[in-house]
Amino acid sequence: MVYIDCRNKSITEINRKIRSLAAGGEEIAIDNPDARHLLCVGLLETVKVTIRGSAGYFCAGLSDGLTIEVLNNVGWAVADNLLTGTVIVHQNAGAMPGVAMRGGTLVIRGNMGSRAGQVMKDGLVLCAGHASFMPGYMMMGGRIVICGDCGAGVGQNIINGEIYVGGHIGNLGDDAQIVDISAKENEEIRQMLDKYLISAPTKFIKITSAKKLHHYPTYERSEKNDSSTPILKSRLVSSDSIWNKRVVNDIITKAEIGRYRVRGYGAFRELPSFDDIGFRFDPSMLEGLSNVRKRVNLTTALGGKFGGKPLKLSIPIIIAAMSYGALSKNFKIALARASTLAGTATNTGEGGMLPEERAAASQIIYQCLSGRFGFNPHDMLKADAIEIYISQGAKPGLGGQLMGKKITPEIARIRGIPPGIDLRSPSRHPDVLGADDLVIKIEEFREATDWKIPISLKIGAGRLKDDIKICVKDKLDFVEIDGMQGGTGASPEVVTENVGIPTLAAIVQAIDGLREIDQEDELQIILMGGIRDGIDAAKAIALGARAVAVGTSLMIAGGCTVCMRCHIGDCLQGIATQDSELVERIDIEKTGQRIAGFLEGMATEIASITLACGKNDINQLDRSDLVALTSQASAITGLPLIEKPDVVLSSRCMDETLR
Amino acid sequence: MCGIAGVILQEPGDIGRLLVNMLDGCQHRGPDSTGFAIYRTPKDHLLILRIYLGCSADSPKAKAIEDIVLEIIVRFGAKVLNKKFEQEHLRIEIDYSKDVKALCYAIENDARVEILSIGNSLEIIKGIGSANDIEHTFKVSGYQGTHGIGHVRLATESKVDVSRSHPFWAYGFNDVAIVHNGQITNYYKMKRRLIKHGYQFRTDNDSELIAVYLAHNLASGKKLEEVLERSIYELDGTFSFLVSTSKGIGFAKDRLGAKPMVVMEKDRIIAVASEEVSLQRLFPGEQLSTYEPFPGTFKTWYTSTVVTKV
Repeated sequence: MVYIDCRNKSITEINRKIRSLAAGGEEIAIDNPDARHLLCVGLLETVKVTIRGSAGYFCAGLSDGLTIEVLNNVGWAVADNLLTGTVIVHQNAGAMPGVAMRGGTLVIRGNMGSRAGQVMKDGLVLCAGHASFMPGYMMMGGRIVICGDCGAGVGQNIINGEIYVGGHIGNLGDDAQIVDISAKENEEIRQMLDKYLISAPTKFIKITSAKKLHHYPTYERSEKNDSSTPILKSRLVSSDSIWNKRVVNDIITKAEIGRYRVRGYGAFRELPSFDDIGFRFDPSMLEGLSNVRKRVNLTTALGGKFGGKPLKLSIPIIIAAMSYGALSKNFKIALARASTLAGTATNTGEGGMLPEERAAASQIIYQCLSGRFGFNPHDMLKADAIEIYISQGAKPGLGGQLMGKKITPEIARIRGIPPGIDLRSPSRHPDVLGADDLVIKIEEFREATDWKIPISLKIGAGRLKDDIKICVKDKLDFVEIDGMQGGTGASPEVVTENVGIPTLAAIVQAIDGLREIDQEDELQIILMGGIRDGIDAAKAIALGARAVAVGTSLMIAGGCTVCMRCHIGDCLQGIATQDSELVERIDIEKTGQRIAGFLEGMATEIASITLACGKNDINQLDRSDLVALTSQASAITGLPLIEKPDVVLSSRCMDETLR
Repeated sequence: MCGIAGVILQEPGDIGRLLVNMLDGCQHRGPDSTGFAIYRTPKDHLLILRIYLGCSADSPKAKAIEDIVLEIIVRFGAKVLNKKFEQEHLRIEIDYSKDVKALCYAIENDARVEILSIGNSLEIIKGIGSANDIEHTFKVSGYQGTHGIGHVRLATESKVDVSRSHPFWAYGFNDVAIVHNGQITNYYKMKRRLIKHGYQFRTDNDSELIAVYLAHNLASGKKLEEVLERSIYELDGTFSFLVSTSKGIGFAKDRLGAKPMVVMEKDRIIAVASEEVSLQRLFPGEQLSTYEPFPGTFKTWYTSTVVTKV
């Protein structure tokens, strides 16, 4: 037994010490823990640790194989994302014990806080005392046993798994039901408790999913395939009427399905965009624009401010997060291949990291979302950066949606959910309920990766001026901002079309917020949300982004025909489908090369514009290179309106022409 | 978005020092600003005013403000017993037992300053920076008292400044203060309602609403417990907040259980904080018996109810 005294040591020092002792096979005792956060985070060894006191948040989080006893209390989210192993807490646990567990056993001898086992996929949570409200909230597998009483909302939105309660329950959550428990099962539970010397109540109530919320009807008619209802021919529905064809079609759809529409792609409505601003070129610069790629520096490095190894990009364009699930395996691998060819980074998206994708990509960003589907600490260590998804432009405030048709047995296994259900990720992270908790969550990833890789955050554009300041305080390497024109595999149309701010406004707001606290050069911004080409990218960078991310345009480059059936899953191009015959239509190498070709095309456009602006380095573009082409864009960006004579006359371009 | 802490003792003790330690323990929850509301044993008619000048104590403006404030105090028939500048703050002790709200509105509106607190026992000390920064400037750990609350702030919406730092005094109402972690989402509706009742607001910070809301309800003669219970249903959003009065402290927690709170009831001391790590600062190395209150609950403690445990 080796003793570690926590006094006067940083949590990083403590965790490094634990890791090195664990690798040597030592049994460890931790003294004076004093409820410190992040103890034993990211421990992937078969080791026995005794914490002689209380532990804080995320104790034993992102770990695998360990056996931990905590002699007193634990804070929020103990055993977060545990794969295998045993965690025993001798007193009380705070909220979200066993959040996102994928296996192993968590034993709590005292009481436990709210939302125990939220989004857990497998494993066992045993509680000898009482539980606060909503145990088993959105749980997707595994078992929760509570010997005492429970608060309200037991099994709220439970998808799979079982909850056993020995005492009283406040009430049942939505889509939870009480089912009979056999004598054999009762005995089985009793034996589990016996193993940990917990005296079992005489009888348990068993709660499972009523499975009524697993499916919601998909409206399979595409945008292009309007039904020819007689009303469409009436005078009322001329295209300039507020009762136009689209509106009428929408009403008919809602009448049929009785809810909002869910669809892929992004906002169709007209919004201020990068088309509304232009560059001020020096016309003489446009001559001799040859060999531009060699003459302009497009390389950029992302992150590294906190000691992690930065991402090295040959072009200021990264691949946006798109999941295996929304997209086919072949297309995911093709994207990874393209990222390597283009010298940039790809992103796993929500559905975990595919081994083939990892192998094909020289740099990969690992996305962590609210449902924690496919998230595991081993893959995390293989990643080159982590992206914490808060929200996205196409659906700010909502989690991912994946329709049952696309959830094959393989995808279900990776994600830890039953095959064929309509999957909705929670709208917020179970263990991040505010900017203050986020500070600790970010540090959990830092500790679990030993501060070796950059940690970033993705947010849908809303009140960015405030949000970006929070990002600075939460100490992120970089931030991915997704504007209202951002794409999606499936999203409620009401959100896609109505929530958020346009991408053009987003970057301006974010930079404005950073300037207000004098941090413009300290936090790197990746802008995304409807970036179509190198021109959009160059404008974004001139407005202050460090790089851009693209998704939809890469799908089109790879063969997407914009048929608007992503959410249905029968994509004929094999891109947004899991139908094996359709997926086979994708030649990974050829598609990868096409996508890389498009990225190279974008890079050439960016280089040309940079040269035309009289600069040799993409990072030297700035607002002075831009003008607004509409008064609306001028109001949004603060750029001068091109028509305003004094501006035009004083611009570099005009000065030289007049001379 | 923040960290909160509260502590109450059976007998007067080092409240300032205890709160500095607790807030230093959860500073990671809020790096922007830090504040304290500390309660000493009250003396009859003796009111303590703490005023934020917004300018340095040795500037001519500070002197001008002081003159106006003193003139108003005299106009209200109060007697100044003591006065002292502390950085950008002015602390005045007066002999006064009439309507505090009228006095405080008069000072704020005429002297263009902000009153941080008025009370027979309450003093609010707050500013930009960490617990240790505020300790360095105001020597908070020297403050003796029976109870107090404190706050570290991570600003999410409104500006980082002294006015928007917590604790918020229940403006115009003796000895009541709050600290809050969370976000009140029916802020605008509730604020409009309170303004109709004649209350003034000084910031756009949603937490200020809780202070005014409590003051309004307490002024109508309701008991603190009744007001806290009502707040759980009338305030929308996420919150764990602490309230303090001349007699004790209390908390209310939203029905979503979205914001953390841990309670420790020990021999002659009760302490409550966002995280246990703050409680351990008071008793390093000890295994503490703590609990996390249920969502949608409230509780109060008074010096008289802090028990001796063996």
